[in-house]
Amino acid sequence: MTAKTLSPERLRQFHDWADEYPNKRSMLMMTLRLVEEEFGSIDDEGMRIAADLCGVNVAHVQGMVTFYTHFKRPAHGKHRFMVCATLMCALDGNTDAALAQIRAKLGLQPGQTSADGLFSCEKVECLADCDKPPVLQKDNEHFCSMKGAVLDEYIDSLLAREGKTPADYTGAGAPAPVATDLRVAVLPAAYTFPGETETGARRFDDKNPHGPTVPEPQAPRTTAIPPALKTPLTAPVAGTPFRNPGASATHDHKGGDHHG
Amino acid sequence: MAETPATPTPEVPAPKPFVPFEPVLTRYIHDPDAHTIEHFLARGGYETARRHVGVTDPATLVATVKDSGLRGRGGAGFPTGMKWGFLAKGTGKPTYLAVNGDESEPGTHKDRHILEKDPHQLLEGVILTCWAIQSNHAFIYLRGEFILGYQRLEAAVKAAKEKGFIGKGIFGTGFDLKVTVVRGAGAYICGEETGMLSSIEGGRGYPKIKPPFPAVSGLFKCPTIVNNVETIANVTHIVKHGADWHKQWGTEKSPGYKIFCLSGAVKKPGVYEVPLGIRMIDFINEYGGGLVEGRTMKAVIPGGLSAPLLTPEMVEKCTLDYESLAGLGSMLGSGGITVLHDGVDMMSAIYNTMRFYHHESCGQCTPCREGTGWLEKLAHKHHAGHAAAGDADLLADVAKNMRGRTICVLADAAAMPMQSYLQHFRPEFDKRVGEAPRVAKVRTARDEITPAAKRDAAVHGAPSVEKVGMGDRT
Repeated sequence: MTAKTLSPERLRQFHDWADEYPNKRSMLMMTLRLVEEEFGSIDDEGMRIAADLCGVNVAHVQGMVTFYTHFKRPAHGKHRFMVCATLMCALDGNTDAALAQIRAKLGLQPGQTSADGLFSCEKVECLADCDKPPVLQKDNEHFCSMKGAVLDEYIDSLLAREGKTPADYTGAGAPAPVATDLRVAVLPAAYTFPGETETGARRFDDKNPHGPTVPEPQAPRTTAIPPALKTPLTAPVAGTPFRNPGASATHDHKGGDHHG
Repeated sequence: MAETPATPTPEVPAPKPFVPFEPVLTRYIHDPDAHTIEHFLARGGYETARRHVGVTDPATLVATVKDSGLRGRGGAGFPTGMKWGFLAKGTGKPTYLAVNGDESEPGTHKDRHILEKDPHQLLEGVILTCWAIQSNHAFIYLRGEFILGYQRLEAAVKAAKEKGFIGKGIFGTGFDLKVTVVRGAGAYICGEETGMLSSIEGGRGYPKIKPPFPAVSGLFKCPTIVNNVETIANVTHIVKHGADWHKQWGTEKSPGYKIFCLSGAVKKPGVYEVPLGIRMIDFINEYGGGLVEGRTMKAVIPGGLSAPLLTPEMVEKCTLDYESLAGLGSMLGSGGITVLHDGVDMMSAIYNTMRFYHHESCGQCTPCREGTGWLEKLAHKHHAGHAAAGDADLLADVAKNMRGRTICVLADAAAMPMQSYLQHFRPEFDKRVGEAPRVAKVRTARDEITPAAKRDAAVHGAPSVEKVGMGDRT
């Protein structure tokens, strides 16, 4: 199984940015967008690619992806509905109306993905078009006043594009939707974070937080690395273990915090 | 996101009469081609920048903006020229301009229109500002949800680069300027200036402790000026026409004009640019067309979701400027005005508001991370009708103890609306006490030590403790 990589065009885009940004870490937000564009969503492998490119550890990227809610994740449907639920949209039941229509057509409640992975629905906070409620985003498409016939027609058009009917999702015997699981995989026990010592302490230069991490003097290993949780949140994909970016010779880690 | 107003002044200035006003910033947003560089050049675009960059003394530009009295349009209303004056000089480090286009305050959608429909207007402001503060690199941070805005701004930056307005030696002078557009990804906290800087640096949007303020140590620990999109767009017009031109509108302390976003129960919700200092009721009636048929006004949120509510009586007295709203205990904020009609259930509204802040708290500071959760849970009890007597007092207590105790003002932004709902709509809170049957719940020793549990015990009798252990969670 070959590891995924970014396309040459997107890699070129990344290197164009490298001339603009003062360091690689600061390109992370935009690199994650490149990964999202390339693969349709940000999965474990995508996070590893972003970590490699930006010279940060995978755990940091996981922290970013779970903090920022707009990044698309594999558990989201191919068509990801985001309905604004903040006060200005929710007034007069606008949000509820849109959600009810999605539920009637696709059988989805907020926070659920259809069993075939084609559709997901979620409530999100303000989408900043408050004068035309309810506001809805479907992936990279933005819609205002999205209720009634307009929303119904739009969902029908998506269903037609996928060759489906509402009965496939709401009819008798239709598979039940699943909860959208946005958790990230646990890191394997053997993974050594760049910049971390074997005991887990991180060396950090206060005066130059974005520069390379100060190497820790090698000391005898005193504490065993704790094993992975007994029940991983998501099983790591077989054959694609997390690589230690510090051990990789193919990428340049200038500005990163790698540790020999 | 909005911040706490600078200094509340009690006196309310005399209202100005309603006068028609020709929009300045939003003048061309209805032209379908207004986002193209050809359209912008045809209306004299980039001429002001060409005239001043490399020619005018930067100190003169800073003085002009200072004289104009322009105040930050992002929410805090801090005088822009004064902020530029705080910039640390002679540090040997590069200076950055960070333009805040995160626009995350619910009720506000003004920057969207500048970014999507007139991005070159913003870029000219960026060029002039960078010359004024002698910065060679500007970052424009947009919220991730602005997809069209990002595409249009990227295209605008590319077009301006091709014309030589951005890049090496702009306008044939020796001044270099890089403009980098960064997309956020759905975090309200990145609207806070230092949270935005953390995000640009490639981290979670955690706000940083101030001081040092960004003007001394900001982006990449270098001196940084952070301004809102609307503020920067204003700079071009002030430099072009002069400080006195800008001061012909507005009040003495709040000169100029501002884009307001009107939403809620009005006939014509939308984005309107008006001079500061007009009466709010005139604005709602003349621009918004008044309330929708058959409804009366119950309250108005004057400056984005975090601004304390105004009652209809306060709206009558209120003018649209920073001092008037501060005098009424609220704030102009980012200019997102939402009208709530008489049919709105205030308990649903406050629950929705608190859910927003709980969701968006970044989790760095305990008073905010825990406090917003408490506010949400207690607001939900009122919303669902099973609040206990004293829950409203507890809400007031939590809100009071959240304010001023955190790194950024998100805790204040959550506590302020709660306090104003309690102040103006306390009877609605009290009406929900014990309305619905209480949900049966297994109590633990942990519950016994919380104030809510003590109070519940006083009201409902002592609960039976089945399990003992501090770690238990129900």
